[in-house]
Amino acid sequence: MAEVKVKKETNLSDATEVENRIKQLCQQFPHGITDQVIQNDMPQLEPQQRAMAINKLLSLGQLDLLRNSSGLLYRMKDVQSASKMKGSDNQEKLVYQVIEDAGNKGSKTWIIHMPVRCASKKKVYMLYNLQPDRSVTGGAWYSDQDFESEFVEVLNQQCFKFLQSKAEVARDSKQSPMVQRNSSFATSHEVWKYISELGISKVDLSMDDIETILNTLIYDGKVEMTVIAAKEGTVGSVDGQMKLYRGVNPVIQPTGLVRTPCGLCPVFDDCHEGGEISPSNCIYMTEWLDF
Amino acid sequence: MTAQEVRLCGLLLREHFGEVVEKVGTHLLKGGAQNLRTIIHETGISLDLVKKSLCVLVQHGACVFRSGRKGAGSPTEYQTCCDRILRILRYPRYIYTAKTLYGDTGELIIEELLQRGHMTMSGTIKTVADRLTQNMEEGRSMDYSEVSSAFFRLVETHFLQRCPPLAGAEPKDSATPAAPAPPGTPAAPVSTAPPTPESFPDCYKVPHVTLVGRGKRQLASEDGEDQRNAKKAKMDSQTHGDEGICWQVNFERFHLHFRDQAIISAVANKLDQTSSEIVRTMLRMSEVTTSPTATCTKPLSANEIFRSLPTSYNIPRPILDQYLTLLIDDPMEFVGKAGESGGGMYVVNMHRALANLARATLESVVQERFGSRSARIFRLLLRKRHLEQKQVEDFAMIPAKEAKDMLYTLLSQNLVQLQEIPKTPDYAPSRTFYLYTVNQLPTARMLLQNCYKTVANLVERRLFESKESKRLLEKSQRIEAILASLQASGAEPEQLTEVEEMITAPEKQQLEALRLHINKLDSAENQVDETIFLLESYINSTASTSLLNDIDGVRLEGQTHIDLDNASRAGH
Repeated sequence: MAEVKVKKETNLSDATEVENRIKQLCQQFPHGITDQVIQNDMPQLEPQQRAMAINKLLSLGQLDLLRNSSGLLYRMKDVQSASKMKGSDNQEKLVYQVIEDAGNKGSKTWIIHMPVRCASKKKVYMLYNLQPDRSVTGGAWYSDQDFESEFVEVLNQQCFKFLQSKAEVARDSKQSPMVQRNSSFATSHEVWKYISELGISKVDLSMDDIETILNTLIYDGKVEMTVIAAKEGTVGSVDGQMKLYRGVNPVIQPTGLVRTPCGLCPVFDDCHEGGEISPSNCIYMTEWLDF
Repeated sequence: MTAQEVRLCGLLLREHFGEVVEKVGTHLLKGGAQNLRTIIHETGISLDLVKKSLCVLVQHGACVFRSGRKGAGSPTEYQTCCDRILRILRYPRYIYTAKTLYGDTGELIIEELLQRGHMTMSGTIKTVADRLTQNMEEGRSMDYSEVSSAFFRLVETHFLQRCPPLAGAEPKDSATPAAPAPPGTPAAPVSTAPPTPESFPDCYKVPHVTLVGRGKRQLASEDGEDQRNAKKAKMDSQTHGDEGICWQVNFERFHLHFRDQAIISAVANKLDQTSSEIVRTMLRMSEVTTSPTATCTKPLSANEIFRSLPTSYNIPRPILDQYLTLLIDDPMEFVGKAGESGGGMYVVNMHRALANLARATLESVVQERFGSRSARIFRLLLRKRHLEQKQVEDFAMIPAKEAKDMLYTLLSQNLVQLQEIPKTPDYAPSRTFYLYTVNQLPTARMLLQNCYKTVANLVERRLFESKESKRLLEKSQRIEAILASLQASGAEPEQLTEVEEMITAPEKQQLEALRLHINKLDSAENQVDETIFLLESYINSTASTSLLNDIDGVRLEGQTHIDLDNASRAGH
């Protein structure tokens, strides 16, 4: 007696049924199925129909097409990612592959997903569900591609006020000069704590961020910095040293040249006696003299 | 001698000495050393006037003469240098300094000498005494001895010096007055550098003078005569034993004083009053031991400093040590430590202080002219020397577009320079690094020229304003003269008010406005002169230090050369 194989009767004319059957087979064999396996399972299936079903599944993104030494392999795609791929075509699928491989650093390509900071005029895209890396988004200073200059300005002023008041307190304490100077210093950690407690930032700022702000204050000529050796483990020390900042006074008043209209004149180079622009008919001088 | 310097010198000469002297002076400035005939021929001024102009210039030290370049017997050549003429701008500051240090007497002595150029001691004392007596109450007069003692003090502290003696008109004689050796003269051997006033041993020696008496008050009736005689030297029949010994103001000494003042006030601004007093003490102690071109003072021990502090500053010794340590630790490096003996040896770093002050001046100009964010970029480049565009944006935390805009503006004004570093020999733009940088010395020179132009603009505006209201000014002067004569001859009040009313109210307003304008322009000139002084001191100080370094370098190269020679001769 021949073995009666109980087989699920498939309605071979229903393409969906065929597809579902292929999917079931894939699930059975998670490492992938070859064309042969499908043929064995549904011998009555015409090659043409089989091909159509496979293509349909591939285009829907429910099936992965792989190649090994013996031929083509079809593998079930991850359900989660499969749902995402609904509506995209083969090309996009390849792209998606690349993005996924790039992990959370993003990669430079041209479709879908969250556009991120474009400081270098190249749009960077990455997976929606991943947290972008700091170097890509620009860190705390960028929100939605825009450099937040007002935010930087506010932080700049707050840090300066903190250091200035600390220096004033030290000066008023009337102690010996060495003690006065040392107490007017603030470590970058102290400033960071102050800013965090102020709560003016909706983004979390790290100590490095605060140090970049303090550096801009140095370039403004309002603050000076020293580095001292600190024991490992002291709060705020990095690699055995700490950075100290303090507010300083300017060393000269605005110089004499800039107190005259000529020092600030935009057409200084064009001015000479007897010309269109000359000291005798200078409107800036007239304004300044009548001030 | 740049175009701006010549223009400013011309304006200053015109204001102080008149148009003829201005013509002769600017001609000499532009043309270099020339003899009398050439000057007459090229300016078209008569011999008489040219001679007088040259006399005026020589009297004030603005012009020097020496024998012609073509050898003995060739006509004398005259040469002007703009440095001395530009000093005229600083006269008010010299006079004010003398007033603060030596009172009214000192002020008048300096003023007289600046006006006359050279004068004998007796002549100065008599004139000053007369002027002081004029301002005193009736019946009182100034004694000559008081004025003499003020004169001695000025000479002691080197603010006044003898004019170098002229050893006749022989061309061969090298004893000519202080003259800068013209760089292009082939005939003048390098060894006979023109003598400075200090090279004469009697430079600061006060001659024995018999001068007894008191200042004479000028009577009102002599006013007219006095006006006429004011410019001529008073022909006194008395001799006082110092004929032929003329004195002049020692500008270099004043400049050292100004430099010290600038350093002290910078310390006071940056640190505090006590630190500035300590630095002032240190500078005072080194006044006579430090040469004017030195980059730092001689080392002073902490013990000496402690002893020399003014008695009003009663700080204990350990506190002084703390202040000195703070001064050393300050990033501006005003004071440096030179050793450990005597409780620590300290020097004042004058060159570095000047460089920092010049830097602060440059930063101030950028800040006022272009805004604080451009100033941030400027300071950033001064610190980090060379940066790419991207790095500038990142460090300064300025959005890319604005940073680019600011950098290009600074570049177009030549305050910032671009340095190209190619990766490939063909300088292709896509394969070249473009770095922004700031060079402090050339930028300072450029700003100095801007200062000269600014002062010239202010002077021209002042002259223009006066010229505009010339008619009104003359009218008011006439009315004042009428009033004065009426008052002297005892007129009635109605007559006086009648005359006063000849000037209408709007005219009075106009005169008042004019007066305010002129004062504002005058004080602005003085303020710009302060900037000029800082920049000039920095440039001169840098030039002299680099010259010393260059000389060392040449010596070293020479040695290597000789060694190579020997090596090649040693039988290879």
